[in-house]
Amino acid sequence: MEFTVPIGPQHPALKEPISLRMTFEGEVIKKADVRLGYNHRGMEKLAEEKTFIQNLYLTERICGICSHSHTTCFAQGVEKLMEIEAPRRGLYIRTLTAELERVHSHLLWLGVAGHEAGFDTFFMYTWRDREVVMDILEALSGNRVHYSINTIGGVRRDIDEVQRKKILDSLGLLIKRTNYYTGIGVNEPTFVARIAGVGKLTRETGIALCAVGPTIRASGVVQDVRKDDPYAVYAELPFDVCTADSCDVLGRVVVRVKELLESYKMIEYLLKNLPAGPISVKAPRKAKENEVVSRYEAPRGENMHYIKSNGSDKPERLKVRAPTLANYPATLEMLKEGFIADIPLIFAAIDPCICCAERTVQMVDARSGEEKILTLAELRRYSIDYYKKNPIRKEAEWPF
Amino acid sequence: MNDQEIIEKIKAGLKDKALDIQNPAPRRIFFRTDKVHLRETACFLKEALGCAYLATISGVDKGENFEIVYHFANQSACINLRTKTPRNLPHIPSICPEIPGAVLYERELQDMFGLVVDGIPDPRPLILPDDWPQNNFPLRKDWKFERPPEKIPGGK
Repeated sequence: MEFTVPIGPQHPALKEPISLRMTFEGEVIKKADVRLGYNHRGMEKLAEEKTFIQNLYLTERICGICSHSHTTCFAQGVEKLMEIEAPRRGLYIRTLTAELERVHSHLLWLGVAGHEAGFDTFFMYTWRDREVVMDILEALSGNRVHYSINTIGGVRRDIDEVQRKKILDSLGLLIKRTNYYTGIGVNEPTFVARIAGVGKLTRETGIALCAVGPTIRASGVVQDVRKDDPYAVYAELPFDVCTADSCDVLGRVVVRVKELLESYKMIEYLLKNLPAGPISVKAPRKAKENEVVSRYEAPRGENMHYIKSNGSDKPERLKVRAPTLANYPATLEMLKEGFIADIPLIFAAIDPCICCAERTVQMVDARSGEEKILTLAELRRYSIDYYKKNPIRKEAEWPF
Repeated sequence: MNDQEIIEKIKAGLKDKALDIQNPAPRRIFFRTDKVHLRETACFLKEALGCAYLATISGVDKGENFEIVYHFANQSACINLRTKTPRNLPHIPSICPEIPGAVLYERELQDMFGLVVDGIPDPRPLILPDDWPQNNFPLRKDWKFERPPEKIPGGK
């Protein structure tokens, strides 16, 4: 007996709302398919009619979580087109905001992963600590979501001594809490047993399907734009690329927890070595005819902007590739041969922001045509109950 | 591998199939190839230079032609492969047999530019809605969005 399960499409969180249609036999998913474009905003077309500085604010609004990623990617591309260079202090502040954003995004994701696995205490802990980062970002930029700290030619706000001290003080708390999560989240037997072996993506498949970010790094591939193609000041920062070899959701948790610790290291270095000087240079209004490929390691993976200028103050073409799009083909592969109960967890594991929204899942019985409508919350409840009935898997490997 | 070594390898491996090799910035290499050699070139980049990772495919409307840029990347550089196809016969070959991850980007090209990707494993629309009018390709320069006039129900 075969069932079809459409998931999605509407949710307000991402640039790419998504509908997944899955065919399964019994509990096992046999086929997964993706349909995008339910809320396509036509930003690439709109960008051709806006000036570079207007586009900066447009790209900021591509995503609510990695808003700084898109503006940095766009701004550093346009700076190359205009042949200007941001001053070093500006680049330091830009990188600092980028790493703080990564911390808030990964803490958010850890909470979501805990929530989907039925470990709500973990969710509440990480989200409480995420507020510390959000407060830092608010103090730095004045905003919690769209920081608007970038401008073409540098950044818009400087850091003073009080802010610097406040961030360094809060960092101690964050490091302590993250070490605690390493212990509780990755060594806690029930949590590890739930996420180990779920959503397998082998190294070869991951490479063939062009997956990016923590998703591919959890399959043992060392791929990080910050190392491979250093932008801003990453070339001088001390950090390691974090990988895991388990190729499953557990690996993706391990990679993100390790990346948090690397980010704290970088934030500390950036604040202690902050150079003096101006934070931005004046940018011209127009860029002469040229093209540029700008790459950026967002919390979810590589973000790429291809910008073509034609001599006017507007781009001829702006192509944006957000990391979640690159991870879709790999997600479909991860879902295959998995259980219905694992759909929320696997899907959350690529960090697509899709699970923050309440959506409807329609289950159709292929034989009788009977339909059953479940919300994502009900699907989550179903998955937790399903695993309560099953014994804890003994073969789960402990990573630390 | 530095940029110069990569350029040498491209020149040695592809001979006259790689045209206009440019290196405008560190770790950025652009070159052009004819669309008939596209699959062969993608295969070369993957096998000889380790560029199994295709970041994305960008289309650009250049009036009489469409330019298509394939952004490959390996650990040391971002290699951008350009090709073009005429507007009145917009066909390009699919590179999915070499790079299976390219399928979403090729579907996006079909939707937004009206290109026909020959041999694509999954030709369904990706982004545009099911009731989108035919022969409307939003990212072509001659396509303009016009908001339909607002009708107030019960109004005059």
